[in-house]
Amino acid sequence: MRFFFTALLSFCVAAGAAAAADQVFASRLTPVAYDGAMRANVQGDGQVSATLSGNKLTVTGSFTGLPSAATGVGLYSGSGIGVPGMPLQNLTLTGQTEGSVSGTVTLNAKQLAAFRQGHVYVQLNSQKAPDGNLWGWLLPDHPFAGVNVPEKGHGFLPQLDVPGNWVQK
Amino acid sequence: MGMRRFAFVLMGAVALAAVWSASQAQSQLAPGPFTDAQARAGRDAYAANCASCHQANLAGVGEQPPLAGAGFMSAWGRRTTKEFYDDIRAQMPYGRAGSLDAATYQNITAFVLMANGAHAGSQAFDGSQAVRVSTIANGQVPADIAAPRRGGGDEGGAGGRAPAMTLGQTLVGNIKNYAPVSDAMLVHPDPKDWLIYRGNYQAWSHSALKQINAGNVEQLQLKWSWAMNEGGENATGPTIHDGIMFLANTSNTVQALDAKTGELLWENRLGPLATRAYSALRSLAVYEDKVYINATDARLYALDAKTGKLVWKTDIAEPGKGFNETGGLIIAHGKVIVGLTLCRGQMPHCYISAYDAKTGKQAWKFTTIAAPGTPGGDTWGNVPDDMRAGGETWIAGTYDPDLNITYWGTAQSKPWMQASRRSGTASTLYANSTLALDADTGQLKWYYSHAPGETFDLDEVFERVLIDHGPQKTLMTIGKAGILWKLDRVTGKFLDAKQTVFQNVYSGINMKTGQLSFRPDVLAQKTNTWISSCPSAAGGHDWPPTSYDPANDLMIIPLNQSCNMMLGHDVAQHTGVVQPEGEEKLFFMPGTDGNMGRLAAYRTSTMEPVWSFQQRSSFLTGVLSTDGNLAFVGDYDRVFRAVETTSGKTLWTVRLPTVVQGNPVTFEADGKQYIAITTGLGGGSPFSKPSSMLGELHHPDHGHALYVFALPDKVSGR
Repeated sequence: MRFFFTALLSFCVAAGAAAAADQVFASRLTPVAYDGAMRANVQGDGQVSATLSGNKLTVTGSFTGLPSAATGVGLYSGSGIGVPGMPLQNLTLTGQTEGSVSGTVTLNAKQLAAFRQGHVYVQLNSQKAPDGNLWGWLLPDHPFAGVNVPEKGHGFLPQLDVPGNWVQK
Repeated sequence: MGMRRFAFVLMGAVALAAVWSASQAQSQLAPGPFTDAQARAGRDAYAANCASCHQANLAGVGEQPPLAGAGFMSAWGRRTTKEFYDDIRAQMPYGRAGSLDAATYQNITAFVLMANGAHAGSQAFDGSQAVRVSTIANGQVPADIAAPRRGGGDEGGAGGRAPAMTLGQTLVGNIKNYAPVSDAMLVHPDPKDWLIYRGNYQAWSHSALKQINAGNVEQLQLKWSWAMNEGGENATGPTIHDGIMFLANTSNTVQALDAKTGELLWENRLGPLATRAYSALRSLAVYEDKVYINATDARLYALDAKTGKLVWKTDIAEPGKGFNETGGLIIAHGKVIVGLTLCRGQMPHCYISAYDAKTGKQAWKFTTIAAPGTPGGDTWGNVPDDMRAGGETWIAGTYDPDLNITYWGTAQSKPWMQASRRSGTASTLYANSTLALDADTGQLKWYYSHAPGETFDLDEVFERVLIDHGPQKTLMTIGKAGILWKLDRVTGKFLDAKQTVFQNVYSGINMKTGQLSFRPDVLAQKTNTWISSCPSAAGGHDWPPTSYDPANDLMIIPLNQSCNMMLGHDVAQHTGVVQPEGEEKLFFMPGTDGNMGRLAAYRTSTMEPVWSFQQRSSFLTGVLSTDGNLAFVGDYDRVFRAVETTSGKTLWTVRLPTVVQGNPVTFEADGKQYIAITTGLGGGSPFSKPSSMLGELHHPDHGHALYVFALPDKVSGR
């Protein structure tokens, strides 16, 4: 009986710690959707990571290779992963064609729900691409196994926002 | 005044009024920011670099958008001359983006504007003038440009990248002791041969050969190679029988080669010359003593396998109407069965048809678009019959000899987007379906509509793989949405589905019926509004086919990872040519770290993923698996590789001169196993998307060829 309670207590402590643990999210920043006419102005690369602690989200990252100076960066939210939407919160920008992004924001319940579904993304705007130069959806951190390195299963498949994905209705 | 005379006078008045109205509309346009000399020079440059895809009259064809008229104005009227110039400079010519000098791009811009009713001014266009297109052009195409083009199919003129060569038979063969290919051979192919496009009737692309295996593949070396026709699009795979290799080149050139040495045995250049970007000939077929080829201009040829001489030919569709063939063919029960593409709302619609292998006489035809008043006709809503387009069959079907059923996939309906098509979420039969047809009669046994209301150019047309799971006969296929489907191939009943890449088009699936549910904003779409689609039109899976390894029950699937924003145009519901009528903007798929290529293996009995790996470059060949625990695949970055089937670990790679594209095959000659693969350009969306997105990867814009590998005569290790 003592063993049972000890085990139960250990489980509860571990579960509580896990629930309280910060969750890490990440994304590569890649060019926004572009056609040939936009291509020259929509270039660059970057990386962001984000830590969610309760409803506080702390974002850090860097970018490089913009064709024109960055003018702003923020969190945006759409109706799905990979679906562009509206601005949510501003982040802090330093640098011009290369630099960093950072910021801590408090998400309300609706924003938090959207974030957990993968609908929130970081978008960086620039002088020649004021409606978006780089973007990246914040998804659970998923270290890349490496080029041509096989993973068991199908690897990372960010299907967070499809309720009961592929389950019987 | 009699009624007839009055009618003539009235018609004349109307015509004069129309001319006056047009001239008034013309005169109200501001002069274009280009000179007449630029437009004239641009016309020549357009003919040389653009007309092979977009047509001499700028009307566009297939996925090549129109560059004149209402379609052009829908896409570009609200944008500027500079944006158009930047666009073509960044993306064109197809496969050779940015290869022309600035003045040529400026001249082509001037010509395209002039072809849309703009008139020249005094100022030369230097690429910097950002003038809204609708203020200088109205889409009225001058008569000398709009005049109907000559011919059809690939007869796009002598411009573009057409190779300079004469047509006809250049070498007559004299192959001795050729063993005719029987029905029994096709049902049970000798592993030494590669008789059918996908290796066997079931489309497994698998060989029982195992001389080359996971223990010795690193010793693989080039034995011989063969330069293939340039021009057009190369995405083929050879057919091998009895030590003879039959090879389809662009320009519908058929060659017989000694499979061991690469010596040419006969050649017949059927033509027409390949000038169009989308003109891949993915396969040919052998049966009895003949070689069959469904040429890109929709003609079916039977050639003598020993000499290459023409035995018979027949038209699959009316010549000169622009109908097209790309997918190859299958021969079943004495009939040559072929599909049809580029049916753009003109009548007749697309169809699958069968021909007597001995005579070429048509045996049956199944139309893949349901007409009003016929079964399935109500699935198009009120769309008039001559606006019902798509349903192309651009991948050869498969065949179950026990059931005597041939299985075909069909492409999406057109225009691409629901809002442009005005068909809502209706299933627009028989687009994006699996069709099960009686091989003798063409009678429809059953159909399965995979994606009713599909709206993002996400075809479900690709290979139907036939796999038995115990007593259950199944059909497996994967389309551009990246959903791996399992159906009962006797009844067409849905059995299972598995998502293989990220997608955001569908919000769910009913696992009892397989019915998909669209994302809400997809359902609420309007024309002229951008909507996101993952995967993009390059597909989670596209034409590079899968392989099935029966010993390990693994299906190995080349996958693509990219997304796009798509915009559908307003399309008038009048009689005429139906185009895709959409625009797209590409972006990298979330969660992929910018890796476009993924190769994955699935256990087909359970649908569980076994392994997967990613890379920056897209895979552009089918997969070949062998009993040597190997799977071969090639990619956009010129790498041809062998991976261990059971683990996905790369065991051998070779870098070839240009893009590795086509279908790898294996065969045996004089006791030695060989692996053959082609390099090629073109290839549709799977080729064009990485061309646009992976700017750091480079390849020559030529180099169509065949490479044949084998082990050295003395092999170390296993």
